[in-house]
Formats: sequence, structure tokens, C-alpha cells
Amino acid sequence: MNSFRLFFVGGLTSYRALFYWLSPTIYIPSLIVAPIFQILLFAYIGRSAGLQSDVFYVTGNAIQYAAIPCLFAMSQTVSGERYQNTLHAILVSPANRFPLFVGRALPVMGNAAFVSAFSFAAGCVILGVSLPAGSIPGLAVVILVAAFSCTGLGLTNAAVSLRVRENAVLSNVIFGFLLIFTGANVPISELPTWMQDVSHVLPLTHAIQAARDLAAGEPFSDVTGLLATELGIGIAYLAGGLALLRVFEWQGRKHATLEQL
Amino acid sequence: MAVVEAHDLRRVYKTHTGTIRRRVKEIEAVRGVSFAIDKGELFGLLGPNGAGKTTTIKMLITLLIPTAGTANVLGFDVVKDPREVRKRIGYVFGGERGVYERLSGYDNLRYFAELYGVPPKVQKARIEELLELVGLKGREHERTEGYSRGMKQRLHVARGLLHDPEVVFLDEPTIGLDPVGARELRATIGTLTSAGKTILLTTHYMFEADALCDRIAVISQGEIVAEGTPAQLKSRVASGAVTEVEVFGIPDETVERLRSLEGVMSVWVEEREQAQVLSVQTRADVQLTAAILGHLNGSNVGRVSHREPTLEDAYVALVEGE
Repeated sequence: MNSFRLFFVGGLTSYRALFYWLSPTIYIPSLIVAPIFQILLFAYIGRSAGLQSDVFYVTGNAIQYAAIPCLFAMSQTVSGERYQNTLHAILVSPANRFPLFVGRALPVMGNAAFVSAFSFAAGCVILGVSLPAGSIPGLAVVILVAAFSCTGLGLTNAAVSLRVRENAVLSNVIFGFLLIFTGANVPISELPTWMQDVSHVLPLTHAIQAARDLAAGEPFSDVTGLLATELGIGIAYLAGGLALLRVFEWQGRKHATLEQL
Repeated sequence: MAVVEAHDLRRVYKTHTGTIRRRVKEIEAVRGVSFAIDKGELFGLLGPNGAGKTTTIKMLITLLIPTAGTANVLGFDVVKDPREVRKRIGYVFGGERGVYERLSGYDNLRYFAELYGVPPKVQKARIEELLELVGLKGREHERTEGYSRGMKQRLHVARGLLHDPEVVFLDEPTIGLDPVGARELRATIGTLTSAGKTILLTTHYMFEADALCDRIAVISQGEIVAEGTPAQLKSRVASGAVTEVEVFGIPDETVERLRSLEGVMSVWVEEREQAQVLSVQTRADVQLTAAILGHLNGSNVGRVSHREPTLEDAYVALVEGE
């Protein structure tokens, strides 16, 4: 029961405590306006260069932009504690680390899904992209799965915050990495082979492909394999993140690195 | 029976200097600290900044692993059974940081109640009780970013007591508080001992240790240099006398010369507003006022007075002796 409460109540409370984007003056420009800019930038580059269709860029960038809330908000679950000098108070508590940190991931995932869905819809309206009506429920599922898997990567990134002080820099690097490697703007098949290999073990790659297939009119049953892979990748990153948290917490106690700003 | 036991605790920090040619420097912050605290006792760890007080407390609350030595709290080893230790201890630290600024005081407490597994049915009553205890009733629904330093400090105390711990670690809890706030907090600490809590308090305020603690260990440069009741520590210097001289601009060389005078036990200088107060503790059998004033030629000298040694003098003598 306690773990259940810690997961839901604790997760939501810590989100309110640490997530500075909850202010509309920061949230709207960062998570509402910026993803639309990204979609338009690549769509117009695509149009002028005669590359891919608008729907290609809308699906790719709307889903890829989930990485911003996932990476930054998840890293904030550790670096924000460190910044506010509350990390040691958390770590000397007997709370089970699984519900403590995975509970913090739940609101992040919800926000990431909202950001993707909103920018997807806004991109479609602005660029005049029409989707098959039957694809909408499937796309909603894809967005949720993408948000989950990317949050898994975010948890791994958060764990690194126990050792790395400037995690925001790392989050920016990972965001750029995902922009190239997930096929958001360049078809995976056109990337060098080694990059394709990397793409397949990253979150978002399979979800973006699934979204494009659904937008092209394929039935949901045809993309379940892609979604299962995406889900598996998310679980692997989540497990890896929890393992890293454990290792770094131990190392932090040993090397006295937990409270360094 | 001892509730908190430390045996030869040691902690070495490694720091790095340089970017290309990185050099590792080892700093021994705690060098073989041992003590035991009995149930219901308020034990003070008294020492200057950098003496190793906070490092010692961090090892006892499982936040740091000792480089050597052992420690246990309520029979649980702080390295092998950290979770069992954490369930049973409360930790309060000084300073105005360490609270969630975006949350209200109430939500800060509610979150930590969840972390400590306080059942929902108990949480509300417990939080109300603690808000009353620390004097935050009526302000609990305001965001803590608007709290004064004293209010945040009292919120730290309430947080440390949420799960009704048997042992409470207070790390310089009154640091930076105004005199009224500090006095109120000391009164709160007094109520904790009445409630049967075992407390380890670190402080560098002598009067605070004197007023609150049953026993005190003086720590200097990572080692315990004296241990006993406040009265026992005072008695170590009771035979001497202290000459205090108000002075304006005393050079360091003069202080060193005074230290070398025959019969001088310790010398220290405190800044008080525009002036400095030079305190010279001497043996009871010598009269050095004239000699002291003779060394102060060239400095503006104000009031001169004599008094009996206090715990502060004992502390300075112990720390300087190191």
C-alpha cells in the first residue's frame, strides 16, 4: 500500500515540487510553441528540397519532441533535488527506490504524451495534413508508448545526474542525437549502416515508424510488432536506469559525490 | 544501553586539482572518532567549522560510508543495514535550503510522510501536531519560497520528526537564525528530550551545547579531544582566569607573541561590530594584565575586564591545544 501511494501521490507531489515548467510562461514557449517551430522548420526544408511529405515531418518531429519533457523533466527528478539541497533528505529516507523514482516518471510520461499529441495536431492543422479518421486511436496508443519508452531513457539520464553535475548539457546532446538517429527527419534506410544499427536500440525509432505506417492508412494490427519492440526498449532503459540509480547511489555514499552542486 | 555507537570512525575525502595534470589530494576529515550515546541522552558534538562534525553525522545517518571503523544505530550497522537505520532516525540540518520552494509547508511534510511510510490515517494528525510544535500553524498552506529562514528551519525540524523516530540527528540546526528564532528552536529541542528521544546535536555554539546537552564531545581536526558533561569540561579550565581586552585592529603577530607568554593557556580574538575582543586565558597564579597591555602598544585599546572561565574558554583551550 505504501509503495502504491509513494508511486502515485509521491510521484505527483515531487513533479509539482521540481518541475518548473509548470509555470505557463515557461511551459507554453518551451513545450507548445517550440515543437511547432521544429515541425515547420523541417517540413519547409523538406518541401523546398523536394524530399519527404509533410506527414513524414509532422509524425517524426511531434513524436521526437517528447524527448524534451522526458529527458529534462526526468533529469530534474535528481538534479532538481540536488539544486534545492533536498537530495540528501530523499536518500536518507527508507523509501523503496522503485516506486520513488518510477512514480516520478508517470507525470513526465503523461506530459510527454500531451506535448506529442498537441504538436501532432497543431502540425497537421498548420500544414494541412489530413489523416485517415481510423488512424487516430492507433496514433494515440503510439504516442503513449513512445512517451513511455523515452521516459525510460529519461530515467537513465536522471541516474547519470547522481554523478554528473551539468546534466542539462547531456540532455541537450541526447536530444540532438535522437533528432538524427530516430529517423524523425531522415528515413532510417538512408542513414549509414552503423547509424541504422544504433537507431534500432533507441527509443522513439519504432514508434515514429509505427505512426507513419498508421498515417499512411495501415491497420493497427500491422504496427503491433513495432510497438512491442518500442515497449521492450522502454522497459530495458527503465530497468537500466533503476540499476544505474542503485549503483550511483552506492558510489555517491562511497565517494561523497551526492551533494556536490 | 548505547543507542548510537561509533568505533574508530574515519573518513577520507579525495579531491582533484588541475585539468590536464590531475592530482589527487586526500583529506582526512574524520580521524578515529569513537563515542556512545545512551537512550534518551542529548549528546553534543562541538567543534569549529571543518572539524568533522557534519562528516561524522553523515556517516551515522547512512549518507556516507566510513573509510574505516564501524557505527551502529539501535543495533543496526550503518553500512550493512542502512534501510533499517533510516526507518528509525530523523535528520535535521541547518540552513534555509533543503525544502521544496514550490510546495507549501504542508505539502513538504505530506511528501516526506509518504517517503517514511506514515500511514495516511496517521499523517494528517501527525502533521497538525508537528506544525503546532514548531509554530508553523496558520502558515502551512503558503509556498515555502515565502518563508523566512527561521520558518524553513522549523519546517526541517517538523520533517525530521514526521515518522516519530527514536533517534534524531540535528546538524547545526540553529545556524543563521536570529536570536529569538534560535531560542525558540532550542526550546523545541528541549521538548524532544522530554519526549524521550535520543539526540545527537552538532553545533559550534558553546552556550547552545552548554544549555542543551547532557554530554559533549569536543571535536577538532577530525578527532575527539575531550568528552564529558558541560560541568566536567568547564572544570578542566576552572583554575584559570580570563582577561578580556577590547581592541581596535590587533595584528596577528601580536596574538602570536601573547600566546608565547609564560602562564598563558590560550588566546583568541572575536570580532564584535567595529571592535575586536582579545581574550587571554591565563593560569590562576599569574597576573599578566600589564604584560598583555604592553604587547598592545600601537593598537587602540578599550575596556579591560577579568572573569571566570566559561565553557567557551574550555572549548577554545581544547581546540587551540590541538
